[in-house]
Amino acid sequence: MVTSSNCHGSEGSLPRSFVKNLKSPTSQRLSENPRAQIREPGHVVRKATRAAFFVAGICAIATAYWLAMRFVDNPEISFLPYYTFRTLVRIALTLGISVVWGVPFGILASTNKTASVILVPLIDLLQSVPILGYFPVIILFFVSLFHGSEIGIELSAILLLFTSMAWAIFFGVVGAVKGIPVNITEAAQGFGVTGLKYTRHVILPAIVPALVSGCTLAWCDGWFFMIAAEYVVYLGATYSVPGLGSYLAKAAYVYSDLNLSVILLILITAIVLYINFLTWHPLLEKAATGTYKPVLRVGLSGLGKLAAITPRVGPRWLRIGDRVHRPKSIVLASKWLKRYTSMEKAIALTLSLIGIFAIMYSAIGQIPSADVFEQAFKDPEFLNLPIYVALTMGRLTVAYVISLGVALGMGVLAAEHKKFAAVFYPIYDIGQAVPILALFPIFFIYFSRLFGGRIGLEATAILVLVLDMIWYMFLNVVGAVKSIPSEIREVGRLLGFKGLGRITHIVLPAILPAIVTGSILSWGTGWNTIIFAEYMPYETELYGGQPLELPGLGAYLDKTGYLPPPKGNPVRLIFLLGVVATIVLTMEGLVWRRLLKKFEKYRVEI
Amino acid sequence: MAVLDIEHVTKVFESENGGMSVLEDVSFSVKEDEFLCLVGPSGCGKSTLLKIVAGLEHANSGRVLFHGQPQLAPTPKITMIFQLFGLLPWKTSLENVTVALEVLGVKKESAEETARSYLGMVGLEGFENTYPHDLSGGMKQRVGIARALALQPEVLLMDEPFSSLDELTAKNLRSLVMDLRRRSELSTNTFIMVSHNVEEAVFMADRVVVMSPRPGKIVGEVKVNIPRPRMSYLRDPIYFKYVDEVVSVLERGK
Repeated sequence: MVTSSNCHGSEGSLPRSFVKNLKSPTSQRLSENPRAQIREPGHVVRKATRAAFFVAGICAIATAYWLAMRFVDNPEISFLPYYTFRTLVRIALTLGISVVWGVPFGILASTNKTASVILVPLIDLLQSVPILGYFPVIILFFVSLFHGSEIGIELSAILLLFTSMAWAIFFGVVGAVKGIPVNITEAAQGFGVTGLKYTRHVILPAIVPALVSGCTLAWCDGWFFMIAAEYVVYLGATYSVPGLGSYLAKAAYVYSDLNLSVILLILITAIVLYINFLTWHPLLEKAATGTYKPVLRVGLSGLGKLAAITPRVGPRWLRIGDRVHRPKSIVLASKWLKRYTSMEKAIALTLSLIGIFAIMYSAIGQIPSADVFEQAFKDPEFLNLPIYVALTMGRLTVAYVISLGVALGMGVLAAEHKKFAAVFYPIYDIGQAVPILALFPIFFIYFSRLFGGRIGLEATAILVLVLDMIWYMFLNVVGAVKSIPSEIREVGRLLGFKGLGRITHIVLPAILPAIVTGSILSWGTGWNTIIFAEYMPYETELYGGQPLELPGLGAYLDKTGYLPPPKGNPVRLIFLLGVVATIVLTMEGLVWRRLLKKFEKYRVEI
Repeated sequence: MAVLDIEHVTKVFESENGGMSVLEDVSFSVKEDEFLCLVGPSGCGKSTLLKIVAGLEHANSGRVLFHGQPQLAPTPKITMIFQLFGLLPWKTSLENVTVALEVLGVKKESAEETARSYLGMVGLEGFENTYPHDLSGGMKQRVGIARALALQPEVLLMDEPFSSLDELTAKNLRSLVMDLRRRSELSTNTFIMVSHNVEEAVFMADRVVVMSPRPGKIVGEVKVNIPRPRMSYLRDPIYFKYVDEVVSVLERGK
């Protein structure tokens, strides 16, 4: 669960970059030579391409807006530019807040021992809470604080986005500061560079790349959770702020307009891709040439605390095949895993949830009464909990198996054949730019027309889960295949491995650790998504104005979180979140940790 | 009769900023039963040359003849020992050797039997079921040697096989290779070793071919006429005479 992004590590790239990645290190060294760079015509071409893209993109998006506003028949369509503006500002503002919060706290947590003992585990736990866990309290808090005015809803939307965006930056900074080579730290101490000077001359330059990639991730996370944060149905009331996400939700649930939903989704995807290309691509490129290599995605993951570190080094985006860093990430990940036992983590998580709820509820003077505690476990549905758990696990397993299979095939082909890469990388680029949650209403409308409500929702849930999980797997598989050391490849060819034998004896074993890492990430994001995917709180006119749900833990969590009492109940919500945490952590302990330990030996030592 | 003829081999690595010439018009022959050592500074293309001989890389121009036939693809008759051992980390010592035989169509039981005997030959009895992760560098290279020899190649290529080991281990492994080579039951008797260690080259080789810095060219060769086994000659002036000779050829190539 948790702040999963559909950007899976801030990349996105054109096939060209992959061609570049295949080049030998020597060619890179040559291009670092300033004289070679002047001579290199590619540089100028790239700039020209970017400028052309900038203009063409603006024209294309403007045309799309004009077309949409001209031909789509919807009472709100004329607000489209305004909605876009509001969403952009909202996400950008939240990004700014996340940076302002994340940098000082990240530096503090990574340089001060006392702070690190308190901050890192605490924030680790906070980011493990699925965004849903924050919904009731945050909305209740701000709505009552501002007496239901729009500013309160806007602030709660921003805070909800913050709970999904901030961690990427915090953990990026922590990872970068901790990744400063010991020799540099020692040299700095030797020359008397300490305190503020040390921060200025060593820490700040070191965190720039991590900050850029952290911002990229957070930016993507923001788009991912935008639709969830902008349009919330809580206790029977709808809280929405003007924006693309809420408009998309309304298109699906209020207007039940499939065409409008698809058009909006395409527009959102185009904007995400456009901004990625214009800002984050060049920034990442620039950051990568800095003093230190970017340390990315450190600790940005689910409950597993699994460093989803997809180190990207080099001139271009998807620099995932990094041989030196990947094994380290696995070591780091297993270290993280070893630090606490599953039980400890589950207990700490539940306690911290209780703490958050207690603080928030007492802040607004609504401490749950004894009734609430009494009602918590009297709900008739509560007895179905084991069945719900089984059903939800079943859905996740089906989605996981599908995405594992597809991603494995796609990833191996893309990493090994340029022709497949030319097809799959653009698919990946676009696929990871689509906010998955925004796909939900569209798939739902489509599938429900095809199969009817229940099966439609089931199909939608699984498809959305697959699309959510698959890119993590794909990214990890591609990265791992590309980072198979050339010596291992040569041994394979020398011994005469071909075709299937090569796959089973050389490629698959080599990428097993990455598959485990990808699996942990996939399950993490899957848990977060299924909470949204099992329940449709929106009263679509298509189905007689009734909310639709799939029997499962996710739907039950939703109802407990959103519906008015006695169905909705903060105590039961904490309990159910604790159940999710326990399941995730048990799986981590029983499956992933063991696998990681086993595959540790498979690492090729260079 | 020459086993291998390297004829006018040229290799250029293409890159964004044009080509980088690695090997330029390299020619020499390797006779049967010969231990040839290629010596040169880092980056002179000697490893690339070895890969071209193995069939892992292709020359841009020129050719490699193996018994008079063009050598273009990997063949079990020419096999290789790697600097970083080239073991599959997910296979035990035994499996690493066995799988190489199984690919060639050897039945599992007899492949295992052969693998065991070669592992014994390199002194790894009792480590058959150990993963590379748990072996020391020297032991890993022993597995690499066992795997290469188990294929019973005619030519054994060695790409700086001892340069990632500590000197004591390297010394032991050099002696092991020389001992194995003396054994008559091995079908392998032609060796090409790449090294940047002149002492090592003189200790092991019948002939040292010296290459220049990039782009690699042959600058000269030194025939080493020291009787074998050479262990007792390591303090002998004649040994140092050859070392000095190779070094002076290397200096000339700069």
